[in-house]
Amino acid sequence: MLPARPPELTVAPALPYSYSSQPRSLLARPKYRAPPDAAEPEKQRVCYGNIMRDPRVARGYALAVRLPPQSTQPHPPEVQKQKGAQKRALVRKHPKEPIRPGTPEPVEGREHVYVQTELYLEEICDHVLEVDGECQTDEFLDRPPTPLFIPAKTGKDIATQIEEGELFDFDIEVKPILEVLIGKTVEQALLEVMEEEELAQLRAHQRAFIELRNAEFAELQRLEEQDRRIREEKERRRLEHLEKLRKQKETTEKIAARAFAKRYLADLIPSVFSNLYDSGFFYDPIERDIETKFLPWLMSEVEETLQKKVLGRTMLDSLIRTVVEKRLDAFSCQPLPDQTEAPAKELRPTDAAPQVSGETDAADQLVTGKEETDQPVAEEQPSDPISSQPEELDQAGTQDLETE
Amino acid sequence: MAQPRISAYLPPDIDPTKAALAFGRRALPKLNEELRSAELLTQQRALMALCDLVHDPEKVYQAIEIGFLGSLKALLGHPDNTVRQKTTEALYLMSMHSVGRQGLIENGVISALTGLLDDPVDICRKNTHQIFDMMAKLPEGAAGVLQAGLIPPLVLKLQTELEEILELILDTLSNCLRMQVSEALATGAVAALKEKLTHPSAAIRGKAAQVLLEISSHPEGKLPVCEEEVIPVLVSLLEDKDPAVQASATGALMFALVTPQGRSSAMAAEAIPPLLKLVAEETSKARLNAIKALTLLAELPEGRETLLDHTDTFQECLDDPREVVIRAAQSAIRAIEWKP
Repeated sequence: MLPARPPELTVAPALPYSYSSQPRSLLARPKYRAPPDAAEPEKQRVCYGNIMRDPRVARGYALAVRLPPQSTQPHPPEVQKQKGAQKRALVRKHPKEPIRPGTPEPVEGREHVYVQTELYLEEICDHVLEVDGECQTDEFLDRPPTPLFIPAKTGKDIATQIEEGELFDFDIEVKPILEVLIGKTVEQALLEVMEEEELAQLRAHQRAFIELRNAEFAELQRLEEQDRRIREEKERRRLEHLEKLRKQKETTEKIAARAFAKRYLADLIPSVFSNLYDSGFFYDPIERDIETKFLPWLMSEVEETLQKKVLGRTMLDSLIRTVVEKRLDAFSCQPLPDQTEAPAKELRPTDAAPQVSGETDAADQLVTGKEETDQPVAEEQPSDPISSQPEELDQAGTQDLETE
Repeated sequence: MAQPRISAYLPPDIDPTKAALAFGRRALPKLNEELRSAELLTQQRALMALCDLVHDPEKVYQAIEIGFLGSLKALLGHPDNTVRQKTTEALYLMSMHSVGRQGLIENGVISALTGLLDDPVDICRKNTHQIFDMMAKLPEGAAGVLQAGLIPPLVLKLQTELEEILELILDTLSNCLRMQVSEALATGAVAALKEKLTHPSAAIRGKAAQVLLEISSHPEGKLPVCEEEVIPVLVSLLEDKDPAVQASATGALMFALVTPQGRSSAMAAEAIPPLLKLVAEETSKARLNAIKALTLLAELPEGRETLLDHTDTFQECLDDPREVVIRAAQSAIRAIEWKP
């Protein structure tokens, strides 16, 4: 239930309800701002104007009667001035109602005095005493360091007492910490020791392996060496054996060849000898001598003799020819009977030659005899015997040749 | 303010010589960038941090993936000693892991390390040789060392280096010469090793004998070994007190005796008695090698007649737990009792 209001405060509804400020519709403000590039054909309402000049803001004496603004449009300054003038005129026309006096008039003989009743007296005067004072820090002085600010102790001091055994038992509490500390240290140490041991094991293993490897390697090399020696030995023996075989083969071949050659050449000597004998290598020296020296000489002598004979005969022929030719010339005056004699005469030397040759006997004796005999004849008739001699020689030569 | 949560990281500024590590996966890339920086202190601190991280194989893998090896290779030639020392140490720690070894081979770090052989600082050289040693244990690593042409310088270093480094060099050489021996022979390795056989330190003697073993296991290595009269020295080493030295010396003899000249020089040096003593010892490491050496000597007629008297020693070997020894003893007996 609402509290009852005092009756004098309730206003009797004498006047119809009226607004202290007329209701007005809000300006039809567009919901969205116009795009910025649109032209401004109309002046936009100034939303945030100077508060000192805002007509909506009441200005002046707070208890003055104020009429709500008639229109919401901002008034041009002339209108505002007019309004102000109107108001002043109104004020002058209707003087203020006298203020109801608060205090009664003073009694006669007394004065009212204004008295200040506050706790502290205040001097009221128009001019306030003003004294200017200034202060200035010294120039060129460094700002000293700020002192350590220790705030004043505030609060109350309270103390507590911890009895023995109340807080914690050190031995029990320290155990886990110690365990962790020592455990970690020991673990780390153990790890390192294990690592080192592992390394040492690995090294030992490696060494053992190396030893084994070296031993095996040495064995290998020894066997290799042995093998090499044996192989070399074998090779040498094989070569020797081959050499031996080769020599043996050579020897057999030589023997075979020798036997064959012997046999082949067995009848070589007789055949050689017979060939030689046949080809005249073995000769009787006397016979050879006779054949090589004597007979050619003989033949050359015989030839010479015969040549002489032939020469003689040729000479004879030429003599006879010349004689016959001379006779022919001599008898050419009597050509007819002499023509038959010429061939007969020609026939005669040819007949005479064989007859003369028939008389010859053995070549040697004849030649020597004829030479002796012919020589003195040659002095007288050198041409005839000379011509006959070669002919005789010739014939003798031919006869000798025939006998041979 | 103290927190009840236990942090995974060390408290900050625990070691001012180390660079601060970034969180998680970012740690190594950041270190990589710091390594490339121009300031010396940054590089040193980054290297110190790296050396700590590289103990973990996962970090090694990550480091190689990122390409740390390139920056480390560049730092190998740095003028500052600490930088070089730490770089070589980091590389050595990487080479302890298999991933690291693979990465080192692929990135050709071995050839980059050849320049450090003559480094004035001892620790750098030691680390370098440790790296070579670890790499040579892998076959690809040994091939890499051979390809980088490291054998001649290493052989030359045999005469001049300190003892600890000498042991490392000898180990490296023994692993590499298992593959190929020609370069070493060309630089006169056999003569250098012959000197080391009489070194006062037992470890060096043993390792030198091991290298000779590897050299003489190749056919072309056997001839220089016989020619340089190493065999008498090896025979004298058979009576050495250290069992490892004995084992290596016997092994070297075993290979050298394959050639006829080797055998004759061994007979001249009277190798049979010490070898027999070694065979008689049951727990000797050199037993197997000694048996093999005697088998080789038994192929000579003089050897055979001497050994015919000692066949009982070989009979004892037939009880050895190792099968290899039994087989070796059997072949030895066969060789001794062989009649042509």
